[in-house]
Amino acid sequence: MILAAVIALFLQAPPDTLAPAAVYAVKERPVVRATEAVQVDSLVSAPIQVAEVLQRFTGVQVKDYGGVGGLKTVNVRSLGSEHVGVFLDGIQIDNAQNMQVDLGRFSVDGLETVSLYSGQKSLRLQTAKEYATGAAVYLRTATPRVNALRLRLRGGSFATINPSVTWDRKLGKVMLRAAAEFLGSNGRYKFPCFDTTLVRENGDIRSLRLETQLFGNTRGGEWRLHLYTYGSERGFPGPVIRRAQGFPFSAERQADQDLFLQGSWNQEWNPRYTTAFRFKYANNYTHYDTHPERNPMALPYNLHYRQSSAYGSLAQSYVILDPWSVDLSTDFQYNALGSDVGQFVRPRRGTLTVALATRLAFETFRVAAHLVYQGAWDRFDGKDAGGWTRENRYRDAWMPSLSAFYAPFPWLEADAFVKRSYRLPSFNDLYYSLMGNSRLEPESAFQTGLNLRLHFGMQAWNWSLHLSPYYNRVSNKIVAIPTSSQFRWTMLNLGLVDIAGADVKGVARFRQGDWSVTLTLRYSFQQALDHSTPGGQTWGNQIPYIPLHSGSADLQADWRGWTLAWNTSFYGERWARSANTADYHLDPWSLSDVSLSYRWRKLSAGVHLKNIFNRSYQVVQGYPMPGINGMLSLEYSL
Amino acid sequence: MKKAGLLLLCGALFFAACQKDPVPSKDATLDGVTVDVSAISTSARKIFVLNEGGMGSNNATLDFLRFEDGKYISGAFKKMNPTVGGGLGDVGNDIAVHGDEVWMVINNSGLVEVISAVDETEIATVTVPTPRNIAFDDKYAYVTSWAGAFVTYGADYSVTDSSNPKGQVYRINLNTKKVEGTVEVGYQPEGIACYDGKLYVANSGGISSQLPPTYSYDNTVSIIDTRSFAVTKTVEVEVNLKNVYSDGQGFIYVTSMGNYYDVHSGLYGFPANAPENVGHVWSELYKHTHVSCSCILGDEVYCIGTQNEFAFGEKHEYTVWSYSAQQGKVIFYPLQLTGVPYGVLALEGDLLLVADAGDYFNPGTLSLYDTSEQDKRWSVTTGVCPGHFAVWK
Repeated sequence: MILAAVIALFLQAPPDTLAPAAVYAVKERPVVRATEAVQVDSLVSAPIQVAEVLQRFTGVQVKDYGGVGGLKTVNVRSLGSEHVGVFLDGIQIDNAQNMQVDLGRFSVDGLETVSLYSGQKSLRLQTAKEYATGAAVYLRTATPRVNALRLRLRGGSFATINPSVTWDRKLGKVMLRAAAEFLGSNGRYKFPCFDTTLVRENGDIRSLRLETQLFGNTRGGEWRLHLYTYGSERGFPGPVIRRAQGFPFSAERQADQDLFLQGSWNQEWNPRYTTAFRFKYANNYTHYDTHPERNPMALPYNLHYRQSSAYGSLAQSYVILDPWSVDLSTDFQYNALGSDVGQFVRPRRGTLTVALATRLAFETFRVAAHLVYQGAWDRFDGKDAGGWTRENRYRDAWMPSLSAFYAPFPWLEADAFVKRSYRLPSFNDLYYSLMGNSRLEPESAFQTGLNLRLHFGMQAWNWSLHLSPYYNRVSNKIVAIPTSSQFRWTMLNLGLVDIAGADVKGVARFRQGDWSVTLTLRYSFQQALDHSTPGGQTWGNQIPYIPLHSGSADLQADWRGWTLAWNTSFYGERWARSANTADYHLDPWSLSDVSLSYRWRKLSAGVHLKNIFNRSYQVVQGYPMPGINGMLSLEYSL
Repeated sequence: MKKAGLLLLCGALFFAACQKDPVPSKDATLDGVTVDVSAISTSARKIFVLNEGGMGSNNATLDFLRFEDGKYISGAFKKMNPTVGGGLGDVGNDIAVHGDEVWMVINNSGLVEVISAVDETEIATVTVPTPRNIAFDDKYAYVTSWAGAFVTYGADYSVTDSSNPKGQVYRINLNTKKVEGTVEVGYQPEGIACYDGKLYVANSGGISSQLPPTYSYDNTVSIIDTRSFAVTKTVEVEVNLKNVYSDGQGFIYVTSMGNYYDVHSGLYGFPANAPENVGHVWSELYKHTHVSCSCILGDEVYCIGTQNEFAFGEKHEYTVWSYSAQQGKVIFYPLQLTGVPYGVLALEGDLLLVADAGDYFNPGTLSLYDTSEQDKRWSVTTGVCPGHFAVWK
C-alpha cells in the first residue's frame, strides 16, 4: 500500500501547461451505480427527515418507533443497522457508542441527493471508511451557485411545525450558505391500546438546526467547510404494555446537543494525480432522564454522556494508463465516550483504515478491486475482575471486495460484486456497565450480489427494469446473552444469519406535451434465516422484523405547475422474535399516502396526506404508529 | 305427561350433577403437552410457572402443570381472561399461592394480579409501583417495591418527596385486596419471607450501584415487626441480596448475587432469634457454593451455581447443591444441566424442576430431573424467561 503511494507520487507527470488538460475516461466511468438515488428537490411528498426518504428504497427496512421524535434506524438487506454507514458529503456520521445513526435527526432540508449503495461503492477519491462499510447511505448537500434566499414552512398533524430558512451569498470568490430549521411536534396521536383507544403521550420534540457552509475554489480544485449544530429535547413515549391505571407508560426525556465541523479539499495536481483531504471534529452531548418524580414506575436514571471524535482522511487517485487507475485512501479516527453512569470505563478508540483500490474502466466493461485494512486500538480505565480479564485490545481486519460492470447492449447493464466487511464492536457492546464484553471480535458480513438494468425508450414512453438478486451472510454477530446471573448480561460473537433475497424495481415514464406520468413499482424478497445454534429452537427461522415480502407502488403525474403523487407500500408478515410463534407475529400492513402540490413562479404550496386509510400498524412491536395525518407545505424562493 | 316426564328427567339430571361433584373447572378445556407426572408427589394439584417475558415486551405468561391429567398448559392467563387488556403484562417477577388464590407480581406493569387457583380467572388487581416479591401471613400479603423507591407517594400516588431512593414494603389486606400501609426498607428490596410475626426483606441496591451519589450495593436485611409494621432491626449480610427463605424452624436464609466483580454470589443465613449471627455456606470440597437461582423445600435450600461465574464470556458448568441449617451440611448432586438455569423448584421425592431461559428472548424450557441422575426425565417448552414457581396443593 505504502509502496503504491510512493509509486503514485513518483509517477506523476510534470504539470503540462501548454497542452489542454487530458480528460481520462477512467474518471468518468463509475464501476458501480447507486442502488437507489433521489433528487431531494424532486420529492413531492415533502419529507422532513432523511428516514422518510429511505423508507421508500428497495431492500431497506427503517425501524421506526413512531412519532416525529422517535428513533429511526436503517437496515439494508438484513445486514443490521450497525453495518450501514451514513455519509454526509463523503464523511461518515458515526456513533461509536452504539454504531447506529438515528436518521430521524437528519433533515432533508439543504440536501441535493440521498442515495443508497447496497453493495460496494467504488468511486474515485472515496475515503477509506467508505470502502469499509457493508452498505452505505449518502447524503449530499447542494452547492449553491448564486445569491438566493429560500423560506419554507411546513406544519400539520401532531401540532408539527417546521419552518426553515436557507440563505446563499457570494462573498468574493467564496460562496456562503447559512441555514436554520426548527422542528416542533407534540407527538400526540390516537392508537388502539388492547381493547381501548389511547393517545400517545410524552412523544413531543423540539429541535433546532443551525448550519453554515463555505464553498470555494482553488486552481484545479475546490474546498468546503461545514459547521453544523443541532439541539433537541424530546420525550420517549415508551412501549405499549399493560400498566396499572394512573401510571404513565413513560416520562423519559432526552436532550441532545450535537456539533460538528467538517471540511474537504479536492485538488487535481495534474491530469493524472488528484487528492482529496477531509477532516471532521464532532461532539455529541446527551442528557437522559427517566423522571421518576413523574412516573412511579421509572427506574431513577439521570445520566449524561459526551461523545467526541476527530477524523482525518487523505485519498489519492492516480491514472496509471487510461483507463486504468489506482486509489489509495488513509483515514484515522479518534473516538472517546464519557459518562457519569456507575463503573464507567471512559473508552477511547483510535481507528486506522487504509484502502487500496484499482479500476479498469473500458466503455462497456469495467472492473474494480479493493482491499481495506482496518485496525482499532481500544483503551479504557478500570481493572480486572476475578477470572474475567478486561483487555485493552487491538482489533484488525482485512476487507477485500471486487466489482465488475458489463454493458453488452445500450439497453442492458449488468454489474456484480463480492465483498467481505467487518464492523467493530461498539463501545456499548464492549464496555457497557454490567454488560459489556471487552473480548469481542468484529462482526463480519459477507455479501455478494448482481444488478441487471434494462432500459427501453419508445417515443413518449420510457421503461426501465432493475433486478438485483443477492446473498449475504452475517457471522460472528454480536448478541446479548445472560450470564450465570440473571442481572448480569454480556455480549458474545454468537449469531449467524444467512440472507438470500432479490430486489426488483420497474419504472415506466410517459411524457407528452405538458404531461408527465411516472409509475414506479418496487418489490423485495428477503429470506433472512437464523443459523446461530444448530438444533436450537429458532434455527432456520426468519430473523426479527424482516418481512419475506415487501413492496411499493408510486404514481406521479405532472401537469404544468401541478404535481399529484400517490404511494402505496406493502409490508408482509413479520415476527418480533426468531421464535416465529403467534405471540410474536406482526400483521402485514399496507399504507397509502397522497400529495398534491402546485408551483407558481417563486412560490410553491402542497398538501400531503399520509396513511389515508387510517390503518393501525406497528413497525416495532409495542410501538404503535400514527393513523391518518396530514401536512401543508409552503415555499418561497428569491 | 310428556312435560312431567321431562321435568322428572331434568330433576334427575340436576340431582346427579349435585351429587357427582365437581362441575368441571372452567379451565378443564385448556389443552397442553402431556408429560409424565407419575413420579411427582400427588398431593399437588397444579404447579404454576410464571414466565417473566422481556422488559417492555409485555409478554409475561402463566403456564401450569395439571396433575389430574399430566398436561402442561401454556399461556393460561390470557386464555382464561380474554377480556383483560394486555394479558398478564410486562415482567412477571414473582408468584405465590395463598389458599385457593394465586398472587402474581407483575413488575413493570405495577400490578399484583390475584387469580383463582382453580380456573385462573382474575379475582382482583392491586396497584403497587415496581413490585418485586411477595410473602404472606394470615392477614396480609407483603410486597417489596423499588419504586416507592425513588419517590414517596401521597394519596393517589402524587409525589410528596422525590429525594428518597429507598424501597418500601406494601401491605395488602388478603380479604379486601387493598393496600393498607407501607414501610420503608433499604435500597431496591427484593426477596421477602415471613416467620413468627417478622418479615425479612433482602435489600439489593442493584440500581443504586449504578448511580450517584453512592455507586454502591446495599448489603442489609430489614426485619419488620408485622404487628407494628415498622422496621425493628437491620442486619448486614453481603452485597446485592436477592432471595430470603424461612425454614419454618427458626432459621432464615438469604442469597447474595455478589457484585459480578470480586464478590461471589452465595448463600448466607442466621437464626431468627439472633440475626446478628450471620453465617456463610461454603464447601471446601467443591471450592464453591455459588447461587444463580435457588428455592426452598422444607428446611433445605436448593441452589444452582457455577464456579467460574466472573468468566462472563465463557460457557458455564452448573452444579446443583443443597444446604440445611438443621443438618448443617452441603450436598452436591450429579445433575448435568444444559442451558441457562433461571429458576428451580424442588419437589418431594428428590425431584427438581429446572427452568432454562435459553437466550432470554425466545421461549425457554422446563425440565424434570431426579437429583440422583445426570439426565433429565422430560422437557417442555415454556414462555420467555421461565423463572418462578408456585405449588397449589
